[in-house]
Amino acid sequence: MTVRLVCIRMSQLQPQNQLQQTSEPPLNVQELQFWLDKAAAWGQADSPDTRKDTCLHLSRLKDYLQLLLTHMNNMSSTTERMKTLPLLGQFLGRLCWNPYVTADATGRRLLLQCLWGLYSEHPGNALERKANQWIRKVLCQLATEEDDDAAALALMKRMGVSPKEYHLKVLKMMVALLQENIGKSCRSLVDLNQRCSCDNIRATSEACVPLVTCPEAALLIGALLQQPMTCVRAALSQDFLDALSSAYSSQCISLEEQAVVSLWYHNLSSLEDAVLSLLECVLTNTGSTPQELKQQLAQSLLPKACAQHCSIFLVANDIFRSFLKQTEGNESVKYLIQTFSSCFLRELARLQHKTSGSWKALFPQSPQSLLVPLLTRPSEMPREAWKHHLNWLSGSLQTLTEEEEEGDGDGSRSTRLEGHHKVFEAWFLLIQCAHWVQVAVWLLVTSDPEDCGPLLWLLTFYHHPTNRGHHRASQLVHAKEAWDHLHSLYSVSSCPLPVDRLQSLVTLLSPQPERPSLSPLFILNLLVNFAVFFQQSLSGSAEILQTVVNRSGLVNEAACVLRSLELRLNEDSCLSSDTNRVHLRINALQNTLTHMHAASDPAGNQAHAHINAQNQTAVSSSSTPPGSLQNDK
Amino acid sequence: MEAVLKNLSSTAELLAVASQSGAVAQWDKQTLSRAFHWARYCEHISSRFHNNSAIKGIMEKQLQFTNQSLRAAFPGYTDISFSDLSCCQHLLLVGLLKNPELPISIMKILFDTTSPVNNQQSDYQDVTGFCSHIIQCKSARKVLSPLTDLSAVGADVEVQGAMLMERLAALLSQESEACRTEHFLDSVLQGGEGAAGHFCLVIAAALLTTKISAAQTASQGFLLDWLQKKHSVLQLMCSALPTTLLIDLAKGHLQFRAAYCDVLKKWASDMEYSMSEGEWVQPSTNRTVSFKRLTEHFLALFESCPSLREDVENDLNALNISDGDFDVKGLSVWGDLLSALNK
Repeated sequence: MTVRLVCIRMSQLQPQNQLQQTSEPPLNVQELQFWLDKAAAWGQADSPDTRKDTCLHLSRLKDYLQLLLTHMNNMSSTTERMKTLPLLGQFLGRLCWNPYVTADATGRRLLLQCLWGLYSEHPGNALERKANQWIRKVLCQLATEEDDDAAALALMKRMGVSPKEYHLKVLKMMVALLQENIGKSCRSLVDLNQRCSCDNIRATSEACVPLVTCPEAALLIGALLQQPMTCVRAALSQDFLDALSSAYSSQCISLEEQAVVSLWYHNLSSLEDAVLSLLECVLTNTGSTPQELKQQLAQSLLPKACAQHCSIFLVANDIFRSFLKQTEGNESVKYLIQTFSSCFLRELARLQHKTSGSWKALFPQSPQSLLVPLLTRPSEMPREAWKHHLNWLSGSLQTLTEEEEEGDGDGSRSTRLEGHHKVFEAWFLLIQCAHWVQVAVWLLVTSDPEDCGPLLWLLTFYHHPTNRGHHRASQLVHAKEAWDHLHSLYSVSSCPLPVDRLQSLVTLLSPQPERPSLSPLFILNLLVNFAVFFQQSLSGSAEILQTVVNRSGLVNEAACVLRSLELRLNEDSCLSSDTNRVHLRINALQNTLTHMHAASDPAGNQAHAHINAQNQTAVSSSSTPPGSLQNDK
Repeated sequence: MEAVLKNLSSTAELLAVASQSGAVAQWDKQTLSRAFHWARYCEHISSRFHNNSAIKGIMEKQLQFTNQSLRAAFPGYTDISFSDLSCCQHLLLVGLLKNPELPISIMKILFDTTSPVNNQQSDYQDVTGFCSHIIQCKSARKVLSPLTDLSAVGADVEVQGAMLMERLAALLSQESEACRTEHFLDSVLQGGEGAAGHFCLVIAAALLTTKISAAQTASQGFLLDWLQKKHSVLQLMCSALPTTLLIDLAKGHLQFRAAYCDVLKKWASDMEYSMSEGEWVQPSTNRTVSFKRLTEHFLALFESCPSLREDVENDLNALNISDGDFDVKGLSVWGDLLSALNK
């Protein structure tokens, strides 16, 4: 899966009207002859080879029928159609009796539409009248002819079973018998010369090519996908997997969860489709709350699938990585990746696959020394150890970036690239383990000024991983300034708030385009965490929050941060020992903000616009949902 | 009751109109849905009362009465009887599709491929795509049948066997009329050309059903008792069915095993030695099995039920002795049989 593929797919995200093709391929009468000969050959003999050939060609045949249909619709009468395509009647007639075409939903639809295309409402000549009669006859035969089952149906009539009921029962019985056979597949892969019953698994999967949209076959298809596959011969037909994949992605069928996971496991393109669809869906639907996003991810089944199969996770992660690079660290993408990772790690823990050995398999490109430290959740570590842990993390990352910068100076091109790569992968892993970022913010609230350094560095790196134009130094300065302002604002217990501090904070939050700036979301997140966790009265905190947010025009953004903070607390209550009190506090602060919402500061719109502009390009975000950065109605 | 009878008549009239009348040209989707709804209603009535001979009789009379007037009204009319009611929707469909006056718009509704399939047996079933679903079902069967054809009893025969068992169980649960079940089985036999042969296969499938409830065991028992009395059917089974099936039946049911042996012995006893052919043959009027085939039957039976061998050989021996106990070929079928079996 390359970045190129991602680019192609991203350009496909714009809906295309498929009917607006400027040039249809011209109709080739030889092609009709080819397909007629094929249809004749399939009809004459019913051998494993003809069946295989039919399944192999089914997809192309359907495309051809679609083409025929388009051309037929361009003509005005049956006479004209029969004149242009004299073999058409024969061809359609033969297809009507090919069960592979008629069992398949699309095949049946196209075939019937072609037949209707030959029907004339007001027949103008003998040819058209004959065509009409023929069509009625064929359809009647298809629906009601019972030559093969005459004896059976006569008997069934005595038992009070109607033909339709009988056919359905027999089909269900066949499916049940085949399912049983699959269950009995051999467990040995020892001797290739040994005969086993697994040959029929491949044949069954091939036979299911036209049946992917048949509801009665769903259980069989599920069984095929989920069979243990321990025998070399038990491979599924590729045509089957492709047909299933395209039916699933166009939402013609629904599969059981485990069947879907198996499908992705066997078929790379269906997995890629699913991940890209998820990205498409989430990134075009930016109004959803953190809770809604989590639900969307869970429904997509991808986190679960990734937890079950390392290979699935590697593919999905690769796609995320490409998107992140492509969009240069876009807000929404970062947030999605964070949330996805959180869901994925949760599923992994549920499956109890957590051994440190497996981390390397899941994250082969990440700096190995950072794997366990980052992937260990805060809840798995005593709280007293967090500070030390984060200091270590900050130091390690700092070393990495310094190595990269040194390499920039004098190394060869390959070492330079390697350096960039390492830093990027470290940053990517940090995004996926944003739980530590959240802990860093929380720790900053209760830190002393001397201890802030490593934490602030970590957060600055998180928001600005590249040191373009060597702005990191000034960004760190701003970060410390912001922390200072916040700390003093919240420490003060007297009533009128220090104006200069407030104003400085607001200035930091409303950056000017000329100066290199620190991400406003970084500061906002810090602000909100101070409001929630600092040992200040609720009214005091609320007032500070209210004032700052009001003046910088970031009311909605702050509300978003609060929402996602609440969500995190719900899932991971290790952050506070007194979760009830914290929740109440958050609720109160949310109320304050919603009351403010009505009276929004017109001066704040400037800040809105600038933040939105920043959203497009800069690498800036925190663990807040991107929906917060858009203008609310 | 009166309302039901009236509805039956009305539906019979509906069927006549659907297949014979130009009035269908005026039908729209609603009319079509209503028509199928009535047909479903009749199917429901049929299944509700087919075990109740009194009510069934009343309904049959009503239908005959209706048939009379419909015959007068429609020259091409075919009578409808109570037994037809179980397939009422099918009758309606066939009538409609064969009616040249049926509007193409109605056909398009029936063959519509876009709506999702509704398999529920609820009262409201959308008639859209009715035929499309039938075609899908039949085609799916054809696609899968090469894979399932490997067993002696195919899925279709298994289903028929299961239905037979269900019907028997339903009949037997009505203790009052035990002989009706026999009549039912007899009537199936007379179903027409080849019906008996086909029925043999279905009976075998029914008897070979493994996962059975108590009710089904009773049905199997009844079936075996009935078979015991029907020598012709037993003989047909033994000559027409593949040996593997017969062996499975013999293994599964002692009663059948005994009956099977009896049939084989009967065949042997009817045989005469033909000088021209140098072999034992059945009388020319009823040639179903050869001596060689007979031997094969016995051998297969012995292989699967070894305990049987001694008893049968003793019987054959006794019969041979009563024939004179000669050692020469062509004098006693029993002696020759014993030699063939012990080769």
